[in-house]
Parts: sequence; C-alpha cells; structure tokens
Amino acid sequence: MANQNILIIGGGPAGIEAAKGVAAMGFKAILVEKRDRLGGTPDEAQYAALTPDLRDAETALNEMKAPLEGNPNVEVMYNTLVTGASGSLGDFTIKAIQMGKEVEIKAGAVIISTGFTHFDPGRETQKYGYYEFDDVITLTDAEKMLKAHNFVRPSNGEKPKRVCFIQCVGSRDRRLGNEYCSKVCCGMASKQAIEIRQLLPDCKVFIFYIDMRMYGYWENEIYWPAQEKHKVNYVKGMATEIVRSGDKLLVKGEDTTLRRPMEIPMDMVILSVGMEPSEGTKQMASIFGIGQNKYGFIETTGGPLDTVSTSVPGVFAAGACTGPADLEDSVSMGGLAAMKAMIAVRQADAVPA
Amino acid sequence: MSKNIGYPLDLKMNHYADVSYDEKERLFEEVKADERYHHMLYGCYECGICVASCPSAKFYDFSPRVIAQALAREDVDLIYTLMEDSIWDCSQCFSCDRCPRGNSPGQLITIMREVAVRNGLASAKKALEGYGRIIYKIMSTGSQVSPDMLQPNAFPDWGVHVNEIAENLELWRKALPPETLHTTETGWTVSDKTIIELYLIWHMTGVMDLIEGIDEGLFMILVDVMEERLEDAGYDITFD
Repeated sequence: MANQNILIIGGGPAGIEAAKGVAAMGFKAILVEKRDRLGGTPDEAQYAALTPDLRDAETALNEMKAPLEGNPNVEVMYNTLVTGASGSLGDFTIKAIQMGKEVEIKAGAVIISTGFTHFDPGRETQKYGYYEFDDVITLTDAEKMLKAHNFVRPSNGEKPKRVCFIQCVGSRDRRLGNEYCSKVCCGMASKQAIEIRQLLPDCKVFIFYIDMRMYGYWENEIYWPAQEKHKVNYVKGMATEIVRSGDKLLVKGEDTTLRRPMEIPMDMVILSVGMEPSEGTKQMASIFGIGQNKYGFIETTGGPLDTVSTSVPGVFAAGACTGPADLEDSVSMGGLAAMKAMIAVRQADAVPA
Repeated sequence: MSKNIGYPLDLKMNHYADVSYDEKERLFEEVKADERYHHMLYGCYECGICVASCPSAKFYDFSPRVIAQALAREDVDLIYTLMEDSIWDCSQCFSCDRCPRGNSPGQLITIMREVAVRNGLASAKKALEGYGRIIYKIMSTGSQVSPDMLQPNAFPDWGVHVNEIAENLELWRKALPPETLHTTETGWTVSDKTIIELYLIWHMTGVMDLIEGIDEGLFMILVDVMEERLEDAGYDITFD
C-alpha cells in the first residue's frame, strides 16, 4: 500500500495551505521547514501588510497557520533541510538533516513549496548604486521600516520629503537573463507608496515604471486609490542612473509622458526588486530530478490547466518556486497541490504496480 | 522641481515672464480650490484616448493627456507653463470626456482658463485680444453680433449681396416680422431694464474686475458707458 504521508517542503503560505488541506482530508502532512518558524518569506522579510488588502501581515499569517498547531495529522519539522530523495510515487524516502542529525522521512507524495528569493540589486544592469548609497533601498528594506512605523532616511535618520520607487529592478531584462515580469512588485510598490503617504503626509512619492501591471481587482484596490486618494505620482519612464547631489540623490531617467529627460532630486529611492528562485528551490529541483525552466524555477508540466504537476510523478510544486507568484497564486496552488498529491497516492493504490 | 531639457512639446518655456515658485503654487491652489476640480481629475494611466479624440491635438502641439498628467502630479512648474500656453489651444469640445478613468481634461482647462483670466496672465490677455470688440458689444449692449457690424470690407467672402444689404440695412431689418429685430446697432431690442440689470450683474459678480485685469483700455471704455447709464437710472456706482 502507498505511503499515506504527504511531505511538504517549505513552510510559507503555499506550504501551510497544502499542509492544512492534507490534514483536513485525513492524510498525514509532514511539513519540513529550514527555519525555526513558519510563514516563509512574508514572515522572514517581515512584511508589514499584505498586498492587496493591506491587512497586517503578522496577524494574517498567524491566523493562517493556527490550525496546524496541535493537529494530530500534522508534523512540523523545524530547522530541517532535505538533502536527498529516492523512490517513486507511493514510496518516497527522503533524507534530511534536522539540527545536525540525519533523519529519514517516508512519504507517498511530495509537495515542494520552497519559494523565491528577492533579486540582489547589486546585479542590476543600470546604475542605481544600492551598495553605494545608504538611501537607495529595496522593497524588502522598505517593508521592514514600514512594519516598524519608522520610515526614515538611512543616511541621517530624517523623515524623507521625496521618495521614489523604481520598478522592474531585476525583472524584464534580457541582459540579466530575467526576462519575466515578477508580477507582484507593481502592487507591492503601490501598497508601500500608500503606506508612506499615510505615515508621512508631507512626503511626495513617485513611482517610475515601464508598465504598471495590476491585474484584476488590484487595479481598483491599489492602483486607483494610490493615484486618486493618496496622490502617488506615477511617471511612465525608467531611471537609468542615480548620482549623489549634496545630501540628496539625483535620479536620471526619461519622463516619457511629458517627452523629456528628467533629473529629479530624491531623499530616498526604493528599488522594486523582482523574484528569483530561492536556493532551496534550486536544490529541491536537483534532489528530486525535476525539470526547471531556464530561469531556475521549477517547471510545471500541465500548462494553464494544471499548475502544480512536475516532470516527476508524485512530486508537485506550489507557489513562487514555480515562478513569480503573489499570495493569491501561492495559496491557491498550495490547496491544489494538496488535492493532487492525495489523488496521486489514492490512485497509486488503485492501480497495481 | 524637475529639470526640463530640450522639451520637445512646443511650449515656449520663456515665452512669458517666469514667476516665482510660490506664485505658481498659488495659481495652482486656485485651480484646485475650484469645486469642479475633483470631479474632473482622478488618475491617469496614459492610455491616450483623450489625445486620440482631440481635434486640437491634430493641429497643434497640444495634448490633453499632458494636462491631466501635470495636474495629477501637481507639477507646479509645468502647470504654470501650460496655463501660459497650451490651455489656449483647446477647442473646448469635451471629446476628451470619454476618458475611462472619468477625467475631463477639457473641463480642467476651463478651470485653468478662468484662473488665468482672473489673474490677468499674459496668455489670457493675448488669447482674448481678438475678442475685445465682441466683449464690448455684449457687455455694453447685451447682444453679441449686431447688424451694423456686417461691413462689406470686413466680410469679403460673403459675396456681392453684402454691399446691397449694408447700404439698405435699416430697410432690410424692418422687413423682418418681429418688431424686436428692427434694430441695427444691437442684434435685437434690449430694454432699459435689461441693460441696467446686466450692468449691475457685471458689477456685482466681479466681471468688471476681470476685464480690468485683462484689458484696461476696454475696461475704461465700458466704465464710461456704464456709469453714465447707471447714473441716469438712479444708481450711484463707480467701477474701481
């Protein structure tokens, strides 16, 4: 008989949702997490508020993972790294290291939800000077400051009067090899722009962009309010260089709407860094022998109608380990992966080997 | 704050005297304070529908999108430049009302023009220069175009009959059935009561102040006419 355990690797939003689904259906969920707590990137990077509804991230994540605690169908293995795998659908044996000790896990199916990592702005192809200027920060840096309700210039601790976001840093760039759109940065930047305007009403906020990509309800939930209610200035045109000008930063780019080059002084610049596959995602792809796309994300094989199956039967992938994904995508995929994994285990029993 | 380098729109940056940033901000605040403003401007995502529908944009270096953008961004320098130039290229047809975000660049221009006129901006003076005669006629008589303005040399394109009509203007006018049209110096008969009320309206609503700011010569001519007529009617009013 196929092993009825479903191993879930990665305890972010996709993994939590998958574990909840598996447990609720009476299967055993073994959730492996490399850190000592669940929540994934939103927790690790200390998100202040979720996009698009601006709900407090900590509250929302705590609520999401609460059903896992004390659940007899759930085993959460913290501080654990998967190091090897053998077997096949219905009978996987996974090796892992937990707090320096090697452990072995048996599972009938596996869900990989190891997520993404933020693009390192040191690799960008423009001249934004992330490692040169204190006041050039990333979305993740800004998120931490917003969570602490202390949004100030890192260089001098003063409240900024002019802040801009630069979109598509590390995304949509052939020279970097990241040709894809990272999907969430437009929404994140707009959400943060709203938060900055709420926190510092005297601070002007600009967003320099190529296209604003806020599909579905993000349009009227974030984009329109940011522009109309919070007076965030959206400027179509990209910055190519940031230079120091006194104690300010001078952002050079083109304002395509008004058909002119621009050189705008700023107190702070926030780089909207995109997504890349996390180290864990690349390692899991290698350990399980799953196909990856050319960007290193795990490749799902079912096209638009099956978003979680991979090239290995019995191994599924959910969330941003498959490519740029927002929370809505990740959680939806987590639920779907749970269902597909349980179906796979059931069917492994139904069909004689 | 932004630096303009080789601005390709034909907004002649130094065409009119530059003013202080504070003054530009004051003018913008006056635009923004208009009650209609917030119903005319939401946000802009650069779709270009307004420009595509704009007849002026076909003939002038004029873009209703730039108007919406400048105002949405509260770009005080650019707004002033537009008020001294571009806003007068709009034909006020309001085709741009089809904006999917609900903006109305044309109606924003209406507000900007009113502010430009109220503040006697050079562009407003220049734009209204050609209308002095009509403004005089309307404000002094209450009717716009009068038959005696139809002088043959002013309207050569009207053909040969215009001479004949001009020569016998009074007769032609009497041929019209309504008695109120038997006039030559006004478009129709304007009663004393109407004209006095009009003058009082111009006075009380600040129209005369506007005229003074835009065209002082015209203002002085109008004051002469109006003060005398108001005095005859028993009103002791001075315009200054």
